[in-house]
Amino acid sequence: MSSSTSTPSSSKKLNEPNGSSGSGSGATDGEEKKEDRTFECNICLDTARDAVVSMCGHLFCWPCLHQWLETRPSRQVCPVCKAAISKDKVVPLYGRGSTKQEDPREKVPPRPAGQRTEPENGSAFPGFGFGDTGFHMSFGIGAFPFGFFTSTFNFGDPRPSPAPRGTPQHMEEQFLSKVFLWLAVLFIAWLLLA
Amino acid sequence: MAGMSPSERRLQKELMSLVKEPPPGVTVHADLVEKNLLQWIINMEGASGTLYEGESFQLQFKFSNKYPFDSPEVTFVGSNIPVHPHVYSNGHICLSILTDDWSPALSVQAVCLSIVSMLSSCKEKKRPPDNAFYVKTCSKNPKKTKWWYHDDSV
Repeated sequence: MSSSTSTPSSSKKLNEPNGSSGSGSGATDGEEKKEDRTFECNICLDTARDAVVSMCGHLFCWPCLHQWLETRPSRQVCPVCKAAISKDKVVPLYGRGSTKQEDPREKVPPRPAGQRTEPENGSAFPGFGFGDTGFHMSFGIGAFPFGFFTSTFNFGDPRPSPAPRGTPQHMEEQFLSKVFLWLAVLFIAWLLLA
Repeated sequence: MAGMSPSERRLQKELMSLVKEPPPGVTVHADLVEKNLLQWIINMEGASGTLYEGESFQLQFKFSNKYPFDSPEVTFVGSNIPVHPHVYSNGHICLSILTDDWSPALSVQAVCLSIVSMLSSCKEKKRPPDNAFYVKTCSKNPKKTKWWYHDDSV
């Protein structure tokens, strides 16, 4: 009894993977073919390698598309839909393992890189508060042409970072910057009134 | 497929799909093409319900090794050249996709469909007005002609 039940169950166990893989492979074969065609380059009709997508959504190998753009530099249109197209406006597709493909063609310039934008921060203008990040104002008085240089062209020497908050130096800097701000305001007012 | 140039690889693919799923009225001489992938002869039948019903034509495609970036040279050949306002009696065809509007996403199949459609929309069988002059003076290669595409109606 136990053996008779075990036999069908074991045979079923054996059969099931076979049967399912058999029917499954038939289905996936068809699907794979369809999928292959979906990811065919519109120019060489092979599966796209170093794939790029135009803004109008059409898929190409980068070497193929590059060659087409070189063929008609004056009139760059999408081969499929004739929308305007350019080298800077194609998006590379990075699939898993796509980096392993060798053959970066020598003649073709590298595929344009993907564009990453950093996610936005909470505060829109970090470091715009006056006291926080060191508000610097330089005020040059001197013989006319040299004054400009001293006050505006300070190459090479980076501004010292502001002193940490709460230290006496920080207070001092705050005070100084306020004094110079008021001096500047007074000077401008005097210029205007005089 | 190994050892083929990119244009031959693509032509081989096009040939297989054209043999497998030809557009209506279009047949390709596959064994002839197998010998030389760069030159195809295609049989085309006039669509039923059009002026060319019951007629059959032969199209010749010549490909350069820059195909598909370079358009194929397509002409009617053989004894029956369709009488059409855009087809010269030497077989040259005035069709923009064969020169200026060529795109590498087009294919032999797409060109055949365009030509069938061009024939089908014809309302009066006549040669182009400048046929005699053109045939006398043109180059053998229609791609060397500076075509002037002005009539979109046919």
